[in-house]
Amino acid sequence: MISKKLAIDVLNASLATGADYAEIFYEDSTYYSASLENGKVETSSSGSLCGVGLRLLKENQCVYGYTNDLSKKGLLTLADSLNKSFHGERLITVSKLEMIRCKNRNPVIKSYNNLPREEKIALVKEGIAEIEKDKDPRIVRYIGFFVDNHRFVAIFNSKGKWFKRDSEFGRLGYNVIAADKNGFETSFEGPGCQQDVSYFKTKINVRKVARQTADTALKMLTAKECPSGKMPVVIGNGWGGVLFHEACGHPLEASAVAKGLSCFSNKLGEMIASPIVTAVDDSTIPQEWGSIDIDDEGNLGEKRVLVKNGKLVNFMIDDFNGRRMGKPGNGACRRQNYRYCPTSRMSNTYIANGKSTPEEIIAATKLGLYTVGFNGGSVDPSTGEFNFGCSEAYIIRDGKICEPVKGATLIGHGDEILKKIDMVGNDLAFGQGNCGASSGTIKTNVGQPTIRISEVTVGGRGGELK
Amino acid sequence: MKYDKFFKLAKEAGIEEAELYISQKYEVSISLFHGEIDNNSVNNGFTILARGSYKGKFGTSSCDVWNNEKAAFLVNEIVANAKVIENEDPIFIFKGSEKYKKVNCYNKELANVSLDTKIAKLHELENAIRAFDKRIVEVQMVEYSENMNSVTLINSYGLKLTQKSNYFVYVGAAIAKEGEQVKSAYDLILENDFAKADMSTLAQQVGQKAVDQLGGEACESKVYRAVLSPEVVADLLKVYIGRASAEEVQKKSSLFIDKAGQKIASSKLTIEERPLQRNIFARWFDDEGVATKNKFIVKNGVLQGYLYNLTTAKKDGVETTGNGYSEGGKIGIDTAFISMKSGKKSQDELFSEVGNGVYITEVSGLHAGMNPQSGNFSLQSTGFLIKDGKKDRGLDLVTVSGNLLDIFKDIQVVGGDTKIFPSAVSCPSVIIKKITVSGK
Repeated sequence: MISKKLAIDVLNASLATGADYAEIFYEDSTYYSASLENGKVETSSSGSLCGVGLRLLKENQCVYGYTNDLSKKGLLTLADSLNKSFHGERLITVSKLEMIRCKNRNPVIKSYNNLPREEKIALVKEGIAEIEKDKDPRIVRYIGFFVDNHRFVAIFNSKGKWFKRDSEFGRLGYNVIAADKNGFETSFEGPGCQQDVSYFKTKINVRKVARQTADTALKMLTAKECPSGKMPVVIGNGWGGVLFHEACGHPLEASAVAKGLSCFSNKLGEMIASPIVTAVDDSTIPQEWGSIDIDDEGNLGEKRVLVKNGKLVNFMIDDFNGRRMGKPGNGACRRQNYRYCPTSRMSNTYIANGKSTPEEIIAATKLGLYTVGFNGGSVDPSTGEFNFGCSEAYIIRDGKICEPVKGATLIGHGDEILKKIDMVGNDLAFGQGNCGASSGTIKTNVGQPTIRISEVTVGGRGGELK
Repeated sequence: MKYDKFFKLAKEAGIEEAELYISQKYEVSISLFHGEIDNNSVNNGFTILARGSYKGKFGTSSCDVWNNEKAAFLVNEIVANAKVIENEDPIFIFKGSEKYKKVNCYNKELANVSLDTKIAKLHELENAIRAFDKRIVEVQMVEYSENMNSVTLINSYGLKLTQKSNYFVYVGAAIAKEGEQVKSAYDLILENDFAKADMSTLAQQVGQKAVDQLGGEACESKVYRAVLSPEVVADLLKVYIGRASAEEVQKKSSLFIDKAGQKIASSKLTIEERPLQRNIFARWFDDEGVATKNKFIVKNGVLQGYLYNLTTAKKDGVETTGNGYSEGGKIGIDTAFISMKSGKKSQDELFSEVGNGVYITEVSGLHAGMNPQSGNFSLQSTGFLIKDGKKDRGLDLVTVSGNLLDIFKDIQVVGGDTKIFPSAVSCPSVIIKKITVSGK
C-alpha cells in the first residue's frame, strides 16, 4: 500500500502541467486456480498482481500509464512522463485526502486465501464423483476447476478523496466432452459468487451442477442440427440475459454513447423496446458476481434503470465519457486491473420480471426455438449488430418442448430485437460471466426471466424449421 | 544476479528444478477523435512466471513485482501447489537444445522515428478516412500503438535465453451510413518497419470496407458455393491448427485422433508453422526453452503429425516439436507463425470461377459460435453475393454454418491474395464447395 503522503506528492506531480483531474489506482491482488483432468488435479497455480495505474484528464483528453515500480522515485517518474502530454499551468493542488465511506455490501469475511487448497479441490471432486458415478462411456473427458481471486484496491484522486475496496470472488465449474462416431459435443457450467466458500457448500448443489453439465453434453450428442432462418425464439432465464448484455448493454455504455458512436446515442427518452421490457444494471445487489460498492473512480455503486417500460432512461456512465455527455459518472467505471485505463462497463445487468410464467410462454408458442444454454456472444455497438451462440436448445411444437437441436446462433440488431420481445416471464435468474472490452475482462452478471422474441434470425445447419 | 535469490530459496525449500519466465512489455499508444488526442497511454510492466518440481510434481506461481519477499512468495507457492498435484504426467525443466537459430525481430530504427511523425500520420489517417466517401459519417477512432516486448527464460540448469521484439500498429475504424443503414469497419497495419506505415492505403481499405457493406440485405437461406476471404480463412485456420495439439489428441478431444499421416483436407491445402521466419511473430525458442523449427503441419492435405511440448512428446515417445507455450498455469501447446501456401488466382478470378454463390468477408463471435472440439460453427457474417462471376450486392445479417473438417476438405481453389493477420496467420482466399448460409 502506498501512503497518503506519497499519494499527494504523486497527484501533485501529475497535475503540474494543467491536468484537471488525476487519479492513482493501487492494486494488490492474489489469485488461485486449480484444474482437474478426468478426476485428477493437473494444475494448481497461484500468484499476485501488484501495481499502480495513474490517470490524468484534461477536458476531453485522457492520459494513462502504469508501473510495477512502487517506490517514490518510480511513481514520480511515471507522473512526470504522463504530465508531458499537457503544456499548461497547474490548475489544482491537492493538500489533503479525505476518505470516502460507503456501504459494505460485499464484505470479505472468510478469505479464500486462508482456505487450504485441498478443501477447494475436495469441493470440485464432489461433482467429479457425480460424473464418474455410472459414467456413460461416451464421456471422453471431464474437467473440473476452482478459481478464486482476492482484490485489494485503493484509489486516491485530485478531488481530495481516497477509498479502499476489498473484494473476494470464487468460482467452480465443469467442462464435459462427450463423443460418439458422429463427433464431439461439449458442455460447461461455472457458477461464481462474491461470497466465501459457504456459497458452494450450502447455496448451490455442486453435484447437481456437475450432473447437469454431463447430461447436457450427452443430450447434445444425439441432437439434430438446428434449423435456420427467421423464427420465434423463447430464451430461457439466467444466462439467456447474454442477449440483453450484447445487444443492448454494450451500446448503452458511455464509452460508445458519448461520442455518438452507439446505435442508442441521442435516443434518451425514446421507446427503444417493447413496453413490457424494463432493463436494469445494478451494482448494488449484495454479494452478486458483478456488484461493486464503489466504482474504480470513486463514485458509489448505483441501481441504474436503463430501460423503463420500453423507454430509454439512462446509460452506464463514467466521469470521463460523461464530460462529453454533460452528465456525471453514475458508478459504472470499471477496469480489469491496474494495467487498464477504466471506462464505463456493466455490473449485474438484467431484464426485470414480467407477468407470464415460463410455462405460459412455451404453451403460447406454436412453432419455434427454445434456447437454454449459451456460449456468450459479441456486438458492434455502432451498428447494434450482435450474435450469440446457444449450447443447448430445443424445438417448440404446439406449445410443447420437443427434440433437442445443436449449433444455433442468434443474430440481429440490438435496437430492433428489444421491440420484438412479446412475452416476459417471472423467473428472473442470473448467470456469471466474464466480459471483455477496452478496460479488460471484468466479472459481470447477465440475467433475465424467460422471454419470447417474436422473430429472430437463427443460424444453423438443419434447413428450414418445419 | 537479480534472480539468484529465487533459485537459492528454491533449492533450500527442496525444489529439485526451477525456472523463471520473465516477460517485459513497454507500450505507448495514442488515439485521436475529431483531430484531437483523446487517449494516450504509456505502460511499462512485467510478469514473472515461476515453475518448479517438488517431489516429482510441478507447482507454478506468478508475480509482477520483484524483490526478496516476492522470491520467497513464489517458492512457497510452488511447493504448496506441487503438493496437491495428482497427475502422473512426466515433467521437465529443460537443459537446453544443442543449437538455437536466433532470429532478430527487433527493429532499432522504429525508436528513431519521432513521436510527432507518428502522430502526424494519425491525423493523415483520420482525414483520409473521412474524405474517402461522403457516406462515411464518422471516424470512430484512429490509434497508433508501439510495443517493445522481451521474454527471458532462466532455469536451475543454467539455461538463459532472451528474445526481444517490437512492432507498431495503426488502426482506423469508420462508420458509414446510408438511409437508416449503419455499417462499421476497421483495418490495421501491424509492422516494425515504419516505411510500411502507408496511411493512404489503410484509409482506403477502411473506407471501402465500410461503404461496401451499405445496401446489403439478407440472402435466401440455403447452401452456397463460396469464396472465403483471407480474414475468414485465418480465423478458421487458427482453430483448425489448434486441433493438431498432441495434448488434445492424448486427452481424446481432438478431431485429429488417429489422423497423423492421413489425408484430412483437400490436397490444395498446405500449412506450415514458420517460427523462424523473420517477422514480428518470430520465436526461436518456445516457453520451455526448446529451439523451434519451421515445419509442415499439413502437406497437400495430409496431416504431417501432431504438435508437441516436452510432456506430451515423452508420453508418445517422440521428440518435442518446440510448441510448448504457457497457458493458464501450465505449459500448453500453441504455434508461433502459421503460413498457408497460396495459389495464383486473384479474387476476381475466384469470383469468376464460382459463377454464382457467396463471398464471405468476415465472421464474428468465434468464442460463442465455434465449438473447437466438434468443429461445428455457426457465425455471424458479412459478405457479398457472387452473381454471374462478379461480386454483387452486400449481405446483411446472415450466418454461415459448417464444420471445420468439412470446410478444409471442401477447398477447391486456393487464391494468390495472401494477407498476414495479427493472429500470426498468413493465408489467401479460398473457394469452398459448400457452406450453409442463414438469412431470410
